[in-house]
Amino acid sequence: MNAPRISRRTVLRGLGGTVVGLPLFEEMILSTTKGAHLSAPPTRAFNVFFGLGVPAPLQEEGFKGVLEPLKPLADKLLIMRNIDQVRCDESGINAHFDGATGAFTAEPPDGEAKAGGPSIDQVVRKTYHPDGLPPGMVPTLVAGTFFRRSRVGRYVHSYNDDGTVAASMQERPRDVFERVFGTLTTPTGIADSNRERLKRSVLDSVVEQYRFFSGSRSPLGAASRARLVDHLDRVREFEQRVYEMKERLPGAPNMPPSSTLAHGGQADPGGQGIDMQLDDLTNEWRLMADLYALAIELDRVRFGSITFLAAGERLRVQGDYRFDGRLVYHFDDAKDLNATGDKGCSHEWWHKFRPEKENVQLRAHAHMKMREVAYFLSRLNEVQDANGKSILENSMITVSTESGDGRHDDPKRELTGVFHAITAANGRFHTGQIMEIGREGLDVYNTMLAAMGASDRLGPKDRQFTSVDKIRA
Amino acid sequence: MRQRTSRRLTHQRQGPELCFRAGGFKTMNWVDYSRHTPPRFQHRSNDAKLAAIRYDLLATTSFKLEAFVVRTGFCWGISAILIVVTGSLRADSTSKQTLSQRTTEDLIAIYDFASPTGTIVKDRSGTGVPLDLRITNPQGVRRHEGYLELYGDAYLVSNHPPIRLQRAIQRSGEITVEAWIRSTDKRQRGPARIVTLSRDGSHRNFTLGQKGDTFDFRLRTPSTSSNGLPSLSTPKGSVHTNLTHVVYTRSRDGAATIYLNGIEKAANQIGGSFINWDHAMRLGLGNEHGGGRQWHGEYHLVAIYASSLSPAHVKQNFNAGHKVQGASLSATLQNIDTRAIHFREKIAPLLSDRCLECHDTATHEGGLDLSRKETAFAGGDNGQVLTPGLPSESRLWELVKNDDMPADREPLTDIEKKLIRNWISEGSVWSVDPIDPAVYVHGAHDDQNWVRRLTVSEYVETVRAAVGVDIRKEATELLPPDLRADGFRNTAYNLNVDLKHVETYARLAELIVKRMDINTFAAQFIKQARFTDKAMGELIANMGMWLLRGPIEEHEIIAYRGISTSVASTGGTYELAVGLIIEAMLQSPRFMYRVENQRGDGQVWPVTEYELASRLSYMLWGGPPDQELLRSAEQGHLYDRDDIAAQIDRMLDDSRTIDHSLRFISEWLNLDRLSKLQPNGERFPAWSDNLAADMREETLKFFKEIVWRQRRPMSDLVNAQVTFATPRLAAHYGLAKEHATETADDFWKYELADIPTRGGLLTQGSVLTIGGDEASMVTRGLFVMHELLRGVVKDPPPCVDTTPIPTKVGLSQRGIAMERIANATCGGCHAKFEPLAFGLEKYDGIGGFHLLDEHSNTLREDGEILIPGQASASPFQTAAEMMNLLANSQRVKHSMTWKLTQFCLGRPLTAADAEAVKKIHNASQANDGTYTSLIKAIALSDLVQLTPTETDPLE
Repeated sequence: MNAPRISRRTVLRGLGGTVVGLPLFEEMILSTTKGAHLSAPPTRAFNVFFGLGVPAPLQEEGFKGVLEPLKPLADKLLIMRNIDQVRCDESGINAHFDGATGAFTAEPPDGEAKAGGPSIDQVVRKTYHPDGLPPGMVPTLVAGTFFRRSRVGRYVHSYNDDGTVAASMQERPRDVFERVFGTLTTPTGIADSNRERLKRSVLDSVVEQYRFFSGSRSPLGAASRARLVDHLDRVREFEQRVYEMKERLPGAPNMPPSSTLAHGGQADPGGQGIDMQLDDLTNEWRLMADLYALAIELDRVRFGSITFLAAGERLRVQGDYRFDGRLVYHFDDAKDLNATGDKGCSHEWWHKFRPEKENVQLRAHAHMKMREVAYFLSRLNEVQDANGKSILENSMITVSTESGDGRHDDPKRELTGVFHAITAANGRFHTGQIMEIGREGLDVYNTMLAAMGASDRLGPKDRQFTSVDKIRA
Repeated sequence: MRQRTSRRLTHQRQGPELCFRAGGFKTMNWVDYSRHTPPRFQHRSNDAKLAAIRYDLLATTSFKLEAFVVRTGFCWGISAILIVVTGSLRADSTSKQTLSQRTTEDLIAIYDFASPTGTIVKDRSGTGVPLDLRITNPQGVRRHEGYLELYGDAYLVSNHPPIRLQRAIQRSGEITVEAWIRSTDKRQRGPARIVTLSRDGSHRNFTLGQKGDTFDFRLRTPSTSSNGLPSLSTPKGSVHTNLTHVVYTRSRDGAATIYLNGIEKAANQIGGSFINWDHAMRLGLGNEHGGGRQWHGEYHLVAIYASSLSPAHVKQNFNAGHKVQGASLSATLQNIDTRAIHFREKIAPLLSDRCLECHDTATHEGGLDLSRKETAFAGGDNGQVLTPGLPSESRLWELVKNDDMPADREPLTDIEKKLIRNWISEGSVWSVDPIDPAVYVHGAHDDQNWVRRLTVSEYVETVRAAVGVDIRKEATELLPPDLRADGFRNTAYNLNVDLKHVETYARLAELIVKRMDINTFAAQFIKQARFTDKAMGELIANMGMWLLRGPIEEHEIIAYRGISTSVASTGGTYELAVGLIIEAMLQSPRFMYRVENQRGDGQVWPVTEYELASRLSYMLWGGPPDQELLRSAEQGHLYDRDDIAAQIDRMLDDSRTIDHSLRFISEWLNLDRLSKLQPNGERFPAWSDNLAADMREETLKFFKEIVWRQRRPMSDLVNAQVTFATPRLAAHYGLAKEHATETADDFWKYELADIPTRGGLLTQGSVLTIGGDEASMVTRGLFVMHELLRGVVKDPPPCVDTTPIPTKVGLSQRGIAMERIANATCGGCHAKFEPLAFGLEKYDGIGGFHLLDEHSNTLREDGEILIPGQASASPFQTAAEMMNLLANSQRVKHSMTWKLTQFCLGRPLTAADAEAVKKIHNASQANDGTYTSLIKAIALSDLVQLTPTETDPLE
């Protein structure tokens, strides 16, 4: 292998002063030994989800509009317009949930916590690794920076054949770090990993309760609060002993800092939304994206999904949004909307979308999301595989979202024109184009699976599959 | 509507005690301590707070006393208020035209807008921390002397939610909002907010508003919406632009009325309690929080009461007008004599600690007894020691000033001396009589309000009651044992946690959930097993209400919801999610601790209905409230004293009360000690673990027999002529079979009327073993003194050799004791407690009865008992006589009241509790002094119904 095997990066560039050192050289060597063939890049498939979507009329503007941040990667992407996901509509439920669950599965959800079928990354995984991935690799990495938690389909985007989630969601950078560089990565450790994650969520809520009752809002008096502070200290000690990562792989980067954003139940207080400074949001997301990209780069992960904001996300974003040296917009959703709670969230801009209007705030938010999606894709574009192409080019990376319109008055319109972008998957698909598809997402996905050599198909067995050949190279 | 009574009080002289009666109102006893001028009256009721008092002493034998008493339902607990008539016997004649004409009972907040300047409108109710209002935009307001005009975009708002106000109203189930206002526009709509306790335009506890030319009142109850709808409105044309007196009042039974200028204008029925009030709401005048409902007009007076006003009182307030003169409604509280409180809190503890060791009733060295007022003022062998007002002529002061007293003890500190000097200078007010040193054993530092962790037994019972899983074996094995502190294992300050607790709670929670049928359990709380926000939130709220013993708040639901979403995101099942949520709840502070509100304004508040439910259940059952009790709390019934009493009666009939009473006797007598005893095998070959277990069980069965089967007074435990014994224990005691009646188990019942050597707790092995192998008279005497007589004796000086002195030929335990008592250094203290064990000398270290000891010394059982506080000892010839003396002693009965009260409260009692405990004791004794009467009296006492609060900056 002549191509450099080490990333050009010397550090992970998490913003906000966060710097994670790269693994040692030996670890890189180790990673390649796990990666089977030395010259052919491994088959990889990842789903990248962003919440709330890009209304179809705005997609028409190409890179002049909200898609502008993707422009530097234009030759590595095939942007597909007019993809129909109407079959994913679940009667009586708005498209945030069912549209999001249909992303990468093209099926309506099966209940509140299951998709209607497998996601494309998992079909590819099963095709190439029917007996599992090499020992030591993370079979599927599901991660994301998101807050709205009602219904799994809003934020998890890798599903098994039976529609169950393919892996535990890692929602903090440290979670990703431990999942990738910790010792719980053997196939037999998967169940324990899930269990530990859930047990930790129990302990998180316990800690949260003790923190509340020992804090300033506690109804307790001083002596009692001091008693609960003691108890809280003991709980933390317990947490440290039980859940501290006992070992990590040799040469793993330094542990990223603890997340400062709300997670768990605090992230989604009854659907009322939370306040969010833009820089805080993007700092955490980028650290997450860096770690995820590093996991791919080190060949510890080949399949999975990453989410930037959940479907129907409810944030009251504040802060200056800059792109390419210019101030795009000063976010202050609650003030702009003159409302509090859920009605003061950026989500409302999608409800207020009208094609004939400027939609200034929606445009700014969608633009910002594209910037962050582009950030992750760029990380993968910076690293070359043995074949001289970047990971981005060699992988099947599918970018999608929940709907093509934010109005809930017409599910058909809402689920028509759902934004999609894919990468070349090592020469399998056209890139450098914005293509009108005019077909169901199911056909697009199945075409992609066929191109990837998978024999399984998504959707009803009795449905006639029509290949969308024009996307294939 | 609760009948209000005349607050004109008349009196009748009853010896030194004057009893004033207010027709139908609570009788209050006032004790005349005044044998000297000035006359003083101590209010001995603990359930009233004197807001204002005006009295005219018409003649030396006839008083006319007119008092305005605020029976503030939310701040009962002021005790021992002294009202001192100083100088003129016409103490307050100026207030007659103002305060006397307004009703002030249950007044929580009042604004008279007196100040013509400033951005703060003062609450002048004088109750707790003033609920002042801030003017949000002074440009929209014009202030005048006596009223405030809102003409622009402005309103008045409390900085924080008025929690005390809301609680008081919730507690009473009644409310009155009174306003003297002038509307400047009859077309104002919205309704425009005149007085509002709300959050925003659609969430309120109450709002008085103007809707066009009508007044409108919205009140939130379970039968109205969160917006207080449907509302009650006055007829059209009710609003005028002249000054109007508007009163909305709603009684506990739901009768709501609006009066305008003293005349009823609208009435309806608004059912339900205020159980669903939102404590996060703020008080506002003139607009809604968030704006949009501006009212324009003048405020002359606004008052809020935690009671409904009768038509007569509405009329009375209307007639009183809107002017409130005087600095504050609370001004007359200045008449409270702080000297009485000072004596109770400072001087009495000081005398107890530094003087009574030698100058109590029993010892009265130098003929001086400083434990009683009469004897203290009478003086000692050398004459009077106290001259009120004149320290220099008070021998007591001279002696302490010169460090001549305390004799052979550390001299008083400068601060202590200053206290004594000032006390004498200010008249030597003596408000506690007699001074009981036992009351002061625990000082102010022990009065901290500690949250109570569940004890191991409470945890086990709580788990069993909450989820139906018996975790006793594992919990007992794994959890660190709760250590005794101040005689009990449930003493809150000692219930701390270490890592082992946290580890074990987590492990037990997992184990408990594994043993549960999660789906069946969850189905009790919600019909649809779904992961959705709504369904899961509802499940968490309902399940949390049960597991955590009260409504859970939004932040808690959010935290638990995080677990279910995590489960969902890993593909986990509903059952797994619910199980993990239960695991989390079982480890939460709301489950592990008895979390109550302890923050407020520094005053005593009523506990909430859910707090009371938990207090009752844990004190009666040692476990959580059952569904009926929680339902009662939810329906607001626990605000009603009769309903509380009915619940207590119901709970007393439950077997859990018996089980918990056995924990009390077990902890009080430290019966767990028996399983660890290892007496000298050669000396006591009969001892075995089985015998120890028999002794423990004997006491428990004896307790059940006396307390629960025979329902006898608690004090009968000391001399009841019955016991229960296995053949092994009977042989140890020397009990013959002919006295026995067979029972269902090995413990036969023995009638002891003809067996003089046994009868009562002190003759049972479980207690007699307290003295150890040597049957120490010191230990036994101290046990009787501490546990039955609440006597106080100081620890021996550090240099004293406390090694037990062995008996020998010619020297029995009693002989050794007598030598100590005769010793000048030791006798002062030992004389107080060793004689208390004289009647037990014939019982050896493991409770066997003998006439001779191992050295053939003759053992005795005669002696005399000196009850703390009494001047002379009572002789007895036999142990049985001693038991009878103790059983009939008021001190013993009172001690049992203290012990059980301490156990129920989970904290040592302090001087501040003494008055309440006295009431409990009296109430119990009036009902034969049985365990159940005592428990009921405790449950209904201020110590359970009220809670002290710490000053909260948020209030």
